[in-house]
Amino acid sequence: MTGTINLKLDINGRSRELAVEPRVTLLDALREHLDLTGTKKGCDQGQCGACTVHVDGKRVLACLTLAAQVEGRAITTIEGLADGDGGLHPVQSAFLEHDAFQCGYCTPGQIMSAVACIREGHTKSDNEIREYMSGNLCRCGAYSHIVAAVREAAEAAS
Amino acid sequence: MTFVTPKSKHGDASDGNLGGRLSRIDGPEKITGRATYAIEHQIEGLVYAVTVQSTIAAGTVKSVDSKAAEASPGVLLVLTPDNITHLKSATTWAGTPGPEGPFLALPKTVRFNGQHVVAVVAETLEQATAAAALIKVSYEETEHVYGLEDPKAGEGVPIDPMTKSWGDAETAFAEAPVRIEQEYKTPREYNVAIEPHGIIAQWEGDKLTLWEPSQWVDGMARSYAEWFGIPFENVRMISPYIGGGFGSKALSLPHGAVAAIAARMLGKPVKLAVTRPQTFTAYGGRPATRQTLALGATKEGKLLSIIQHGVNETSKLGMAVEPLGSVTAIMYAVPNFSSRQNVIPLNTVTPGALRAPGENPSAFGIESAIDELAYEIGMDPLEIRLLNYAEEDPHAKIPWSTRQLREAFAEGAKAFGWSKRTPAPRSMRDGNQLIGWGVAAGTYPVRRTPGEALVRILADGTAEVASSSIDMGQGTYTILAQTAAEVLGIPVDRIRVKLGDSALPRAPVAGGSQLANLMTGAVHKAALAAREELIGLALNHPNSPFLDLQLNTLTIADGTISTPRGERADISIADFMQHIGQEKIETLRDTLPEEKKNTVDRYNNFTTMMAMKSPTEGGYSLHSWCAHFVEVRVDEDFGTVRVSRMVSALDSGRLYNPKLAESQWRGGIIMGIGQALLEEGIIDPRNARVINNNLGDYLVATNADIPDLQVISVGIPDHHASVLGGKAVGELPIVGVAPAIANAVFHATGKRIRDLPITLDKIL
Repeated sequence: MTGTINLKLDINGRSRELAVEPRVTLLDALREHLDLTGTKKGCDQGQCGACTVHVDGKRVLACLTLAAQVEGRAITTIEGLADGDGGLHPVQSAFLEHDAFQCGYCTPGQIMSAVACIREGHTKSDNEIREYMSGNLCRCGAYSHIVAAVREAAEAAS
Repeated sequence: MTFVTPKSKHGDASDGNLGGRLSRIDGPEKITGRATYAIEHQIEGLVYAVTVQSTIAAGTVKSVDSKAAEASPGVLLVLTPDNITHLKSATTWAGTPGPEGPFLALPKTVRFNGQHVVAVVAETLEQATAAAALIKVSYEETEHVYGLEDPKAGEGVPIDPMTKSWGDAETAFAEAPVRIEQEYKTPREYNVAIEPHGIIAQWEGDKLTLWEPSQWVDGMARSYAEWFGIPFENVRMISPYIGGGFGSKALSLPHGAVAAIAARMLGKPVKLAVTRPQTFTAYGGRPATRQTLALGATKEGKLLSIIQHGVNETSKLGMAVEPLGSVTAIMYAVPNFSSRQNVIPLNTVTPGALRAPGENPSAFGIESAIDELAYEIGMDPLEIRLLNYAEEDPHAKIPWSTRQLREAFAEGAKAFGWSKRTPAPRSMRDGNQLIGWGVAAGTYPVRRTPGEALVRILADGTAEVASSSIDMGQGTYTILAQTAAEVLGIPVDRIRVKLGDSALPRAPVAGGSQLANLMTGAVHKAALAAREELIGLALNHPNSPFLDLQLNTLTIADGTISTPRGERADISIADFMQHIGQEKIETLRDTLPEEKKNTVDRYNNFTTMMAMKSPTEGGYSLHSWCAHFVEVRVDEDFGTVRVSRMVSALDSGRLYNPKLAESQWRGGIIMGIGQALLEEGIIDPRNARVINNNLGDYLVATNADIPDLQVISVGIPDHHASVLGGKAVGELPIVGVAPAIANAVFHATGKRIRDLPITLDKIL
């Protein structure tokens, strides 16, 4: 496979052009071609959630998505979550306040999942948050604090 | 270059001082995706390496057919056992000479399934991955030993330094009125940091730069220098953020050598990312262990004798010892004791360190066994622990520095409601759920190695702290900023901390839970010197506004210099520096003893573990302690176990930042819950392959597995343990979790599970 295809991707409200092989995943397109390394590779097999991004507002695993699949869709990564310069999204602020991370590697995926989890309305109880945040593994074990952060951000959003 | 500066403060201003609950100062970088982990470093002309791992457990690589791979688009290089550069053997972490002969990153001899045998380098990751799949390796296979259960495993090798004994354990056991004897097992377990290992290697002449996640940049840089026969100063390792390590990122590994070799051969920077399945054999986790424990006691529950015999697996290549007697020998007062350990070499990657190596499986044994003894004589499991409380170190026969374990039992029991427990197994239930309450204790030693730090006060009134120590989430950036802020009298949001670069002042390994204590000590010392120099200048510099006052001291607080009784108007540090026309005040300090400040000792201090002091050196026995109280709910029909509630009381001495220390505690407890109920490397006896080498099959705890966790600090400052009073934090909390859960499962079901993990098939 040698050919490349030209893609125009809508990432964080910006149009980004790139020429890549058709087999390039959205995750590798972001990390290796677009200098958007906030989206993390933890397993490359759809098992850890570290690569979670939003496509048209819904959470998607970038490692199981080809870059070519998402042309014309609105992609949001951790770098584009907050409005404007330097500010934080309320979920990001809640993560900081509750110390909902340690090493920080699963964190962008957790935050993208958390934003979607709140949007989906799956925050009616701590147990529901736990269940709907379970696609994102955290080996440092920040789960209790992640639940607290999601709960607080959900309450603030409602 | 990564500087981390506090962006915002939470709570009150005292958070900025040591002991305050300041939010982690590297947090804003991490939650916005701006934190750049090792292989995310952007570099021109990067090419990609992918390794191929062996599919047999033992034998020889006969030939590698790389024709198709070489003809594949974008491929630049195929490295095999035949063309790989032979490197020099590097000094071990212990400071002993490495194995004889050259170091082969892709050896011809295969000693475990999943050993790197070939590497393919191509223009893109996709090209390298595709070409690697075209490699055909022919092997000559020989007999292998797959695990401890393998009949060929044998008795292994006795490890004499692990032998501990006092009194006459055999006789005392034989004569004891109450005797229990059981075997306890833990499986192979993996570190599973969410950031897989990886590296970018770049050569400029004979200078090598490595972007690699590292718990020990100085130690790992030394390995590369020795492998390639270049001066230590020529290697620069950069690791500002580490996506979890848990013991697995402290040593240089074959894949790193492969990347560096390829980079040199191609004259291009090479990125090599270990894939998730490859992480299960690219380095070792915790070895499988077995231990028999014989406890002899009086009918009243007083221990008379403990006899332990442990084994752990190791590889055919290296001797990894998981010290199973570490907790056994110090947890309880016992007049007669004997512990010995064998190690059994088999065809696995050499096991490594995983959170509390030794203490973790050791506690699973003794803390299960003491529980069994409690039921045997009909005593409360908490009471038997207090009855046999060790008032001094029973092994070293010296006093504890501090041991707040009694307080941990008391506080934990109170918060948990232990007194409401009914003693009989299967006596508590909620519908079809059997409820069990269990308790277990844990401990982790205080390890000590000298450190070094630089503190720099700048003309703008801000300050910098620099050290090659690292932050993989423990909070190093934050607590070092707090240490400097408190001493310098400069607000914490005006302190920048720079870590994770071997070009900086040196630090020993971030392992053994030692880093926070030794680095706060080094930064404290350097900051005191900087502060003294600043005050000295303010008192004596010809251009100082305080010169004519003939004072002998000044106060610095909130970034401002003041006279003791308001003799002169306050002046900010920035204005003062401008007054005297000085750009910076810079102090570099280490905590090495005088006789160890020479070049050789200094080098070994930071690049090996030779200088690490034992927890009993200096007349006191230094350890952290904890008690875990667990409630489990076991479905009577299905045998599924859920941890529904947990209270842990922990003694880590003084906490430099309780918010971050509590995070580490909870994290360790959560890893312990996974260890107790989920984690197990499954080995195929036919080929010694780790068959569940992915995160869908090797299960770690998810968010839904974790209930509310209450943690209580019962520590008091311990200045025998460290300059600023802290003890070990990070590894302590996992110790004792698995036995506490096993004990709760027994209380719930009447079934004693002595081999981890506690899965439903063992309960039904």
